[in-house]
Amino acid sequence: MVVEPIVRDAVVFASLLSLLSIGLTLTYLTTKVPNFSHGSLATIGVFTVLTTTELWRQNPYISVPLAFVLSGMASLFLYLAALRPLISRGAGLPLQMVATLAYELILLAVLNIYADFLTRVFKITSRDFLLRKYDLKILDEPGVFIISPLLVIFLVSSLYLLLTRTKFGVAMRAAIENAPLAGVIGINVRTVYMFSWFLAGGLAGVAGAMMGLWFQADPGFGSRMLVSIFSASIVGGLQNIYGGAVGGYIVGLAEILGTSQLASVFGVQILPYRPLIPLSAMIITLLLFPKGFSGMDWGRIIRLRLQGAKL
Amino acid sequence: MILELVYIFTVDLLALLAVYLIINISLNLEYGLTGLPNFGKVLAVAGGAFVAGSVPGRLMAEYFGLYRGIEAYANNSVLADCMRGLSLQKPKILEATEFIEDNVLIITCINRVLSFDPFLSVLILLLTLFVAAGVGAALGFISSYPAIRLREDYLAMTLLAMGEFMWTIGYYTRDLVGGTLGVSVIDPYGWTGVRERFLVATFVLVGVAVLAFVYSRILARSPLARILKAVRDQEIAAEVLGKDTVKVRRNILMISASLASLAGALWAFYSGGVIAVGYDRITWTFWPWVMVIVGGSGSNLGVLLGTTIFVTARKFIDYYKFALEPVLPFSVVWLDRLVLGLVLLTILLLRPAGVVPEKPTLTLSREKIAELIKKQESSGTG
Repeated sequence: MVVEPIVRDAVVFASLLSLLSIGLTLTYLTTKVPNFSHGSLATIGVFTVLTTTELWRQNPYISVPLAFVLSGMASLFLYLAALRPLISRGAGLPLQMVATLAYELILLAVLNIYADFLTRVFKITSRDFLLRKYDLKILDEPGVFIISPLLVIFLVSSLYLLLTRTKFGVAMRAAIENAPLAGVIGINVRTVYMFSWFLAGGLAGVAGAMMGLWFQADPGFGSRMLVSIFSASIVGGLQNIYGGAVGGYIVGLAEILGTSQLASVFGVQILPYRPLIPLSAMIITLLLFPKGFSGMDWGRIIRLRLQGAKL
Repeated sequence: MILELVYIFTVDLLALLAVYLIINISLNLEYGLTGLPNFGKVLAVAGGAFVAGSVPGRLMAEYFGLYRGIEAYANNSVLADCMRGLSLQKPKILEATEFIEDNVLIITCINRVLSFDPFLSVLILLLTLFVAAGVGAALGFISSYPAIRLREDYLAMTLLAMGEFMWTIGYYTRDLVGGTLGVSVIDPYGWTGVRERFLVATFVLVGVAVLAFVYSRILARSPLARILKAVRDQEIAAEVLGKDTVKVRRNILMISASLASLAGALWAFYSGGVIAVGYDRITWTFWPWVMVIVGGSGSNLGVLLGTTIFVTARKFIDYYKFALEPVLPFSVVWLDRLVLGLVLLTILLLRPAGVVPEKPTLTLSREKIAELIKKQESSGTG
């Protein structure tokens, strides 16, 4: 079986975009603030995989759990050091967004400093690097291509099991639905929020580590993906965690396959306008069905369709 | 030598201060007074800069007939000599030219002509600023479309994405501002002299900034500002009082976007070039936010102070980076972001209202109102 390179790109990108937008949706559900530094949390993962392969000469997949922990910690730090104090003082939403923006500046600076450090001290290319050569081969296909969709399935089903089958998960859902009420019945809302932020960052880190194995990357990699992440979360629906997964696939596939389709119709000069696809997806969603994919009443739509068919 | 350096440093600092002051005032109008979190400030700034990069140069080239070969402008000796001189590098330009392809050559010769023609220079400057302000207003109108429909969080994400949109178009559309290579901008200050042009350009920027500041101060004390603050703090109350909040939001976005576009165009004229990569969200969205929040949103004095502190600090870091560069194992550019990001977080946590917090709008005292009512009643009955 021969898989077209563009399909590989699309599957890897869409799967990892799903992980990123699940994370963004999770933090949005808990604290109601869109995290402007979410993209750069993924870049931490990218640099973890660069370090494990180029510097330590290890299997790249070691970096996946490592990136989970590192990005998770970075995300938790943002929540604990900036957002929680701001929220407890009753600061408005714009100030919280500015705090995530300040964190984005700091993360970008730290990542760039680390990149410079790698280059100057260890002579490792840390800008526009490509790490595909370190990837495994599974069934003659690159490992990332096989592993990333499986990883999404695994992580989404674990998340589902966590949220529905464990006591902590049920407490988490309660805290997301109604924080004061959850607090009244003895759920530690703060712990739940801390866990959510850690998990969101961790998922971003995992996505970043996998992306680093496939795409050409640099310290601004995640930051540039921010619009795609927002778009995927909005298209999927910011009110539902699984919406992020769906939105990631819709926007990711549209972004890569859509651009190549358009290029085959209108010519290659259209290729660079790829960033306009997530933007348009986002605007169309907001204007036509602002609750996103998961917020739509699918049962009603299907019923209406069936009734229409009968008539 | 030292004096010369101080002179260049000061002029550059003032220009940067002025351009950021205009942008920050416009952000303060949107966020500080009306409560619209515009995370796509770069949209309008880039719009203005792209107008300056693409409109006046083309207009002048068309006006002089530069596209049609040497015969079209043979009677204009300055232009013909200039083009003949440059044709040594590229003989083809005497037959026909293309704006982006031969950009540097065309702009060099236009600048030569403009340096002898103050009237035309001022005219094209004013015309461009007018167009830039118009384009800005149009961009503001477009961004008001989501702004009157969406909540703060969704709005912030949408506007951020729209800001990226402008950058992408500029970067990949070669015909707009030269894509990856950028374009030169014509110099409407050239007639004042090679050295003096920076001074004059700065003077113009500072003049516009002072006007914007005065406007913003007058506005802050006007009844309009109370409407804006009502829209920000209690939208329902504002609607109950019969204020059209949709219209208010749209108008504020249009006014502030055209201000920001003006700043973008003036900056392009000052620096003499436009390149799309220069219009990223860090430089023209995040930095203005940092300055407004640190200074104190909603307060004009705060915005002025925040801008001054930040631009000066960054300029000094920039100036001393050659001294720091060999000591550090990384580029100093990142140090500046790290430090300023940390400063912003600290300010947010310690003084969330900024260095100079917004003052509450004072109303008349009870006695004064009673007195006024009495006066009115007596004049009504009498």
